[in-house]
Amino acid sequence: MKQMKDKRYAPELSPQDVQSIRETVGSASLKLMSESIDKMKAMPNRAQGMAYFDEAANLFSKRQDEIQAHKDAGGRVIGTFCTFVPVELIYAAGAIPVRLDSGIYHTVDIGEEILPNEVCPVVKSSLGTKIVQSSPYFELCDATISPSTCDAKTKLGEILEDYLPVWMIDLPRGRDTAQSKGFWVAEVFELKKRIEKFCGQKISRKSLKSAIELVSQAQKAFCRLHDARKASMPVIMGRDAMLAIQALFNDDIERWTRKTEELCNELDEHIAMKRKGYDAEMPRMMLAGSPIIWPNWKVPNIVEEAGAIIVCDELCSGVRGLYDPVRVDEWTMDDMLTAVAERYLLPSTCPCFTPNDNRANRLLQMVEDFKVQGVIYHILRGCHTYSIEFMRIKRVLERSNIPIHRIETDYSQEDTGQIKTRIQAFLEMVKESII
Amino acid sequence: MIVAGVDIGSLTTKAVILKDDKILSWHVMFTGTHGAEAANKTVGEALREAGLSLGSVDYIISTGVGKLEASFSNEQVGEILCAVRGACWLFPSVRTVIDIGAENCRTIKCNENRKATQFDLNDKCAAGTGVFLETMAAMLEVRLEDMGKLSMGSNSDINVNFSCAVFAESEVISLVHSGISKVDILSAIHKSIASRVYLMVSKMGIEKDVVVAGGVAKNVGFTAALSQRMGSELLVPQEPQIMGALGAALVAEETSR
Repeated sequence: MKQMKDKRYAPELSPQDVQSIRETVGSASLKLMSESIDKMKAMPNRAQGMAYFDEAANLFSKRQDEIQAHKDAGGRVIGTFCTFVPVELIYAAGAIPVRLDSGIYHTVDIGEEILPNEVCPVVKSSLGTKIVQSSPYFELCDATISPSTCDAKTKLGEILEDYLPVWMIDLPRGRDTAQSKGFWVAEVFELKKRIEKFCGQKISRKSLKSAIELVSQAQKAFCRLHDARKASMPVIMGRDAMLAIQALFNDDIERWTRKTEELCNELDEHIAMKRKGYDAEMPRMMLAGSPIIWPNWKVPNIVEEAGAIIVCDELCSGVRGLYDPVRVDEWTMDDMLTAVAERYLLPSTCPCFTPNDNRANRLLQMVEDFKVQGVIYHILRGCHTYSIEFMRIKRVLERSNIPIHRIETDYSQEDTGQIKTRIQAFLEMVKESII
Repeated sequence: MIVAGVDIGSLTTKAVILKDDKILSWHVMFTGTHGAEAANKTVGEALREAGLSLGSVDYIISTGVGKLEASFSNEQVGEILCAVRGACWLFPSVRTVIDIGAENCRTIKCNENRKATQFDLNDKCAAGTGVFLETMAAMLEVRLEDMGKLSMGSNSDINVNFSCAVFAESEVISLVHSGISKVDILSAIHKSIASRVYLMVSKMGIEKDVVVAGGVAKNVGFTAALSQRMGSELLVPQEPQIMGALGAALVAEETSR
């Protein structure tokens, strides 16, 4: 208890309490995950390649043993939040990145003991998960990198310092000016030094180049999966694609790339042969707004069980994370670092930035590319930036005659019935406008 | 051709019988705890008034929160669609529909093709719906059906902002204790609900004509307050409660045609 005096936020919990809560949370999360996986498996004609991701997305899977072995051999594990941490630097220093944004329902209450009610459930759940040590991946982290995106995420980084080393990386508020770009590039240069020191390994030109290559291979596989969802006769349900994408939060990147390529080969074959696949009459939906993080599959499950298909999303938990590969002109260290930094800043459409004009354009482009018939705008209670931008996005989409509907929810399951009613009504409206 | 629509709401169940696009009869009763039974009885009563039997009905559509409970219906249809069809049949010029029931408030925009183009529903909170008015009537010891007319006698400009149905009770109590008359409090309650509804509609953009329906539209104090807040005339059906059931019957007519 003496140690607790130094803690700024962490609650006092005995090891016994932590263990008992962890067990309850663990079994509840396993149940939640298997329920969603069962629902996804129940869809006819599901790609066989999904079996790998069903297992890889399990938050308590064998992957943790691999990471443990890496640690036992002296390797480091570094946690990340949001989509701004340049994982290329982590790989280049021989460390493993894991993404820590949490979709676990049962740790929200624990986070709430410290955080005010108005904070979003992602932040509450991520913190709660650390307090009761219920995410094996979080527990394997030696340090975490926390970008100062929204207010809640910014303070989350500060609170987590009670538990492990946290490196904040500052994001500029703007994105398009030379000053803000310069500021961000300097942050990334600084981060490189910190990672090198922490990992006890210099990031060389060679190691960074191969890390860039490694990540861009994953991006290529990801883009193929993204493209497969454009098919007019759908070959993969949105939940399946989302699950595969999010498996990369923790998975071995090379194996993930290989497995995703295999899945895409299978999907491409279906498209070419015009066989199997799903009902082409299903309304084609886009998910926009606050992140939807596995196993928080509440909204995707409702949407696809109501007879629609999610053909794309713009969520930072989903497709946004892998946009645009690193573009390097000269393979010098400075050029590479600048290119890595820019890849994370320039294409981002996170509403933490202002102005954020390219978000609306990006959405309109996706609507066209994926033949989207309706947009479901998901807002997590307390997620102000996405909530504020709703009005603007709505206006833009409505000018193009794309129906949009706003769903505000959190990690509780009590409103499932109400959301179902809303989504059914929205789909009914969309179907009427298609006919 | 004879068709029926039944709207199983959280508080009341409504049924409408149509013959060749004309209303033959309708009936309203409390849903109670058994939706299936209420649906049966309401349709049965409506048919009895029309001198018909269930066998003579060509097609039945159910809607409302309890739509799945009407086992005798041929099809279940969403509340938004029914509200729009009902409103457009009654008032072809309608572009905005406000439908306020016991626990739900729906705002819908529709086009000249009788299709919904946008809609919004109230969140979990009940401040601004029928049950809230019922609680307030009970607290102030006035009859639900009288509270609208009573409040029209007020010319006070007291404003209260009820953000929560539960806290509203204590706010009303403090108004009573500070010596404000019942009539003025009733007027403030109606204005507060009107503000909430106005906010929902204005986010979609108000387009005329505006129809207000659902049980709450029977309250003249509320419709007057809403009309004032919106700065526009409101169209209120003669029987605002049965608009959803009417819409369901109209969809039934289209389907079986």
